[in-house]
Amino acid sequence: MASTAAAVPFWRAAGMTYISYSNICASLVRGCLKEPHRSEAVAREKVHFTVSKWADGKPEKPSVRSDSPEE
Amino acid sequence: MAMAAFRREGRRLLLSPVSYNSSFAARSAILSYSELGPMGARSISTQAVRNRMKSVKNIQKITKAMKMVAASKLRSVQVRTENSRGFWQPFTALLGDNPSVDVKKNVIVTITSDKGLCGGINSTSVRVSKALYKLTSGPEKETKYVVLGEKGKVQLARDSKNSIEMNITELQKNPLNYTQVSVLADDILKNVEYDALRIIYNKYQSVVSFLPTVSTILSPETVEKESEAGGKLGILDSYEIEGGDTKAEVLQNLAEFQFSCVLFNASLENACSEMGARMSAMDSSSRNAGEMLDRLTLTYNRTRQASITTELIEIISGASALTGFSQSARATDNIQYRRYACMIKLQS
Repeated sequence: MASTAAAVPFWRAAGMTYISYSNICASLVRGCLKEPHRSEAVAREKVHFTVSKWADGKPEKPSVRSDSPEE
Repeated sequence: MAMAAFRREGRRLLLSPVSYNSSFAARSAILSYSELGPMGARSISTQAVRNRMKSVKNIQKITKAMKMVAASKLRSVQVRTENSRGFWQPFTALLGDNPSVDVKKNVIVTITSDKGLCGGINSTSVRVSKALYKLTSGPEKETKYVVLGEKGKVQLARDSKNSIEMNITELQKNPLNYTQVSVLADDILKNVEYDALRIIYNKYQSVVSFLPTVSTILSPETVEKESEAGGKLGILDSYEIEGGDTKAEVLQNLAEFQFSCVLFNASLENACSEMGARMSAMDSSSRNAGEMLDRLTLTYNRTRQASITTELIEIISGASALTGFSQSARATDNIQYRRYACMIKLQS
């Protein structure tokens, strides 16, 4: 995944992908809104799902990702 | 004198079948509670049919309610799905969709639902995934599944569990939003190595029609290779890149963003199809329950009618043993007439 170019952007150097970078930006923009719109927009960044990786044909213990819009 | 009394009595009995009906019902209830006597000895128990009718009626209520819920959910999801189509269209315009690209590491992202009772959409996407797996696998090639949703996991775990890389569930606990899907896309990208990601989902067309669809996302390296080879991606070189980014960087950012956008649209499309499929499935099952209920009611009424007739005949033959033949013949005629009248009423 690591970019091969010499001048990598700071966020990629920190190990983030473009998606997480743009999500942080989006979250900041949402934070700039005024009130009635702001809570509406914040409600759109709720995260909830369960991930489990599989190894040797068996699911490992699932991990829950919930309400972590910063990531 | 005695004969006259009997005659009067017999007529009264004949004219008030309702009282017989209720007394019979009480007796049959007692009989079926204790389950005494040989089957069908005297009166036929209607308890079983009545229980069946009750359960069918309850099922019909449930399916009707589920249909209403699916219909109301569908409306909100459909709007968002149609809006989200604007997410992938620019990407397809820029990079094109290359379902036929031949690469080493394939990742098949199968999108299914968490809940069942929605027709065949889950098995459709699983079937398409398996077909694609066969198409893309070969010597020195590696194909992995990433499964979204409980139902697809269950179906794929049956015979290709060794190729499943990861699975994701409970995605639809909150209404789907882009942040959620992009975090998920990020997770997938970090955990799998890919040359091409193939997302399989049911594209929503209308409440009754869903197209199993494959969207292909190429890794930045593959895009570069393809654009050097010419073809549709060859036009990428004619774009001027602003800022200090190199082409590889831009392509990598693009690929990541494309994946999250396409995944967002795909999961919305699939959620929409799920709701539509559930709606039509529940609609047809409540219709079936109604038909079944009609048939059961007919059986129930016939049985009831038959046992009333039997009882009446018994009483009248008892009475006719005392009064003589001619009267009993008249009474039996009367019963037959009544019975036909009832049957006609039932069938109409």
